[in-house]
Amino acid sequence: MKRHLLVLVACLACARQGREAQPPGPVTIVLEHQPLWGDPAAFHASLERFQQENPGVVVRTQTLPNASDVAREMFLTALEGGADDFDVFAIDVVWAPEFARAGWLADLTSAFPPERLRAQYLASTIEAVTLDGKIYAVPWFLDVGLLYYRTDLVPRAPKTYAELQSFARAAMARNPGLAGYLWQGRQYEGLNCNVFEAIWGHGGDLLRDGRIALDTDAARAGLGFLREAIASGLSPRSVVASAEEETRRAFQDGRAVFLRNWPYVWAEVQKPGSPVRGKVGFAPLPSETGAPGPGTLGGWQLAVNAHSPPWRRRAAEKLVAFLTSGEAAVELALRYSRIPARRAVYDDPRVREGAPFIAALLPVALAARPRPVTPYYALASDSIQGELSGAVAGLRSPADALSRAQRIVDHLESR
Amino acid sequence: MKARSQAALLAAPAMAILAGVAVLPVLAAIWLSLHRSILVFHEERFIGIANFRFLFSDGRFWSALGTTAYFTAVAVAAELLIGLPVAMLLQRGGGFFRAAILLPWAIPTAVSARMWAWLFNADYGLLHRLLPGVDWLGSPRTALHAAILVDVWKTTPFVALILLAGLSAIPGDVVKAARVDGARPARIFFSITLPLLRPAILLALLFRSLDAFRVFDAIYVLTEGGPANATETLSIYAYKTLLRSGDFGYGSALSVATFACVLGIGLVFLRFLGRER
Amino acid sequence: MKRLPVLVFFLGPLAWQVLTSFWPEPELTRALPHALTVANYAGLGTTFARAVLNSLLVAAGTTALCLAVGASAAFAVAKLEFRGRSLLFGGALAISMFPPIATVSPLYLVLRAAGLRDTLAGLILPYATFALPLTLWLLTSFFRDLPDELYRAARVDGCTPWQAFVHVFLPLSWPALATSAILVFIFSWNELLYALSFISTPSKRTIPVAIALFAGEHVEPWGQIAAASVVATVPLAFLTLFFQRRIVAGLTAGAVKE
Repeated sequence: MKRHLLVLVACLACARQGREAQPPGPVTIVLEHQPLWGDPAAFHASLERFQQENPGVVVRTQTLPNASDVAREMFLTALEGGADDFDVFAIDVVWAPEFARAGWLADLTSAFPPERLRAQYLASTIEAVTLDGKIYAVPWFLDVGLLYYRTDLVPRAPKTYAELQSFARAAMARNPGLAGYLWQGRQYEGLNCNVFEAIWGHGGDLLRDGRIALDTDAARAGLGFLREAIASGLSPRSVVASAEEETRRAFQDGRAVFLRNWPYVWAEVQKPGSPVRGKVGFAPLPSETGAPGPGTLGGWQLAVNAHSPPWRRRAAEKLVAFLTSGEAAVELALRYSRIPARRAVYDDPRVREGAPFIAALLPVALAARPRPVTPYYALASDSIQGELSGAVAGLRSPADALSRAQRIVDHLESR
Repeated sequence: MKARSQAALLAAPAMAILAGVAVLPVLAAIWLSLHRSILVFHEERFIGIANFRFLFSDGRFWSALGTTAYFTAVAVAAELLIGLPVAMLLQRGGGFFRAAILLPWAIPTAVSARMWAWLFNADYGLLHRLLPGVDWLGSPRTALHAAILVDVWKTTPFVALILLAGLSAIPGDVVKAARVDGARPARIFFSITLPLLRPAILLALLFRSLDAFRVFDAIYVLTEGGPANATETLSIYAYKTLLRSGDFGYGSALSVATFACVLGIGLVFLRFLGRER
Repeated sequence: MKRLPVLVFFLGPLAWQVLTSFWPEPELTRALPHALTVANYAGLGTTFARAVLNSLLVAAGTTALCLAVGASAAFAVAKLEFRGRSLLFGGALAISMFPPIATVSPLYLVLRAAGLRDTLAGLILPYATFALPLTLWLLTSFFRDLPDELYRAARVDGCTPWQAFVHVFLPLSWPALATSAILVFIFSWNELLYALSFISTPSKRTIPVAIALFAGEHVEPWGQIAAASVVATVPLAFLTLFFQRRIVAGLTAGAVKE
């Protein structure tokens, strides 16, 4: 139908739709990425270096919105419209399977062989960019769910859910008015992250034979745990309406024992003037067995626009290789506090010294797990949020919510 | 003859803009609703009215419709009830008062919704401090009413403006004569003012109902349609289906259904308004 | 005295927002700030100033286009025997009732084919379209209320309909034009969806988009967002203050006529 529409209005714009041959002169490629919090000078300097090492290539940058949802809608509209005014762009970790299936991401397998990537990067990050054995993006930096705890209120980080509860309750008994466990229960993507972590922590897996599986015992246990946390008073009722910032501020104010959130919180709670400065520790999430509980993998990857003409694509691949090199990853960690996806960076002495928090995050990063890596996840994610929210808000039992969610997912996947 | 063609010429730019910029995309959206079109899978199959058949059995659609209808009814009623006294105050008020009243309506909805989200914040919001114990955004019923409050706050000035126009059209002598005759203010209001105000009230009802039925920003910023889709309106459902799930076929069908409802409301009101003339 | 609760209800949240914009970021969780600061405003930067300029351009352009097109069409409907009047009216109203979200993708393609994607002009056109029905309604009823003798007299004097429109009716319709102008301006100032979808260059973003994108990936700087929204509101406040005189004059003109 869209093709018909294009034909209709093609009369207006025949001239603009022609396929161009490679123009003479330097090749200009456009990089779209979010603002890197911090002084952009260092990043621009590294781009300068790239241009020097690759004469004949000019790099221009363009900033993306920070909010992942907003950026995704922009890309959806643009890429569906065949936009080719950008070549390299940063994509959220959950978009890769979806965009790859839509044919918007160039196949990077030949430039970045999977075996080489798996040797250099954390396994979960490569899992997230692989579809049907092909590589569609290269991990740039990651984000991962983890547990923050008050070192002055509990003896150590809890390893199991039972410990989490007993530590929290002991602290709450000593300090009335304290909240036990803060997490994000609002109806949005973050809710999926929290619930998936609880499911993984109870030994569940969300994919079975490549299809999303929600109606499992582990899922019921995990979702049930979160529901119980609210019902039993371990978590305040306000988590049902909370996203990251609300819970971060509450924890930073000293009003909670445990917080599940992302690594960005660390810099915030350690700022001068923070009431909990120096009293916070972090660790992987707890689990049933006591092994490190998996945290949801977040973060961004670099992909190449499939609509870019071949001569720009070659330059784009070189830029991606440059930006994801080991050196670049170290610089990202040191200057912009971006958590590396490359394994070796965690052991780099410069990172150990200049960004100790990142170096100490290795156990958490190793425990990261991606959300179901299937193009159907993006389609189903919204419906899953709705059903999970029903259980968390107490409107439905976890078993009910999960079977409803499973029915919706099955319906979507069977189409 | 010449006047006719000149008339057509004068009206031509309007029709051209509407045709090119509005009619084409609307027709395209209606056309899309007859297809199964999942963006990511490049599926695009003509399936006739199958989307609409699914829509009729879609529980989430009916729930969203119910929420939307409730929101519209309560919000518009509140705006009228508050708007009328405000309009009377505007009649006598000074320039600064008028500008102050119009301000909430002038602010982008996304901005004012954020402002209210901060006020409603369960831990730090001003409203939470003033009225502790109310879980504003976490419980479905209060969340919907919170969104209604935001909408009322924002658009009552607009309603007041329309009602002010109506009030200004009421001849002053009639009211004066009634007062001289000794009628009480309440009597004057109900027997004279209100009936003469009917056209303005209907106009305000029309425009506000059409807009309230398509509410998006206020609810989306506050709750994103949660918890458990309890505050989800038709617009939010369509938005999520279109842009989050990439299901352009069904999302367009939802939009067409919303359009049909809005059209229905509009026709009902226009019939009422037509009787006035 | 009755005015006070009304003022508190409508201005209260705004006043709180202004207060929040001067609130130091680390103290946002307290009941009241200990000190006030202008750091939030200082942090806004030139990109936001650019957004304000873009919004002004788009809103002004939309208002001009909508009034020009709407006034001539309204005149044709009200004073000339225009045959397509119900089609124009009904069509305009119906179009504006369609949920904009479903038209984003097709409109994107249309604008792209016309070369208007990622331009401010590409925003002005859809905005003017959606603002047209209300403008048509207001101006048509206003023109209808103006006596037909004026038109007949002008024609007798030898004016063409166009001349009658420009030289006789337009000068009389400043109040209605002002009312329509401010309605269209505010609508255009507030619009978020199309601005988000059709503009990709950061330097061309409008205010609602800039504010929506203020948040960091996780951190939401409430103080800065409040400061940005205050800056976004100030031009509107002045416009409202300036125009309200004309609006009320236009609205009360009917009363004088009796």
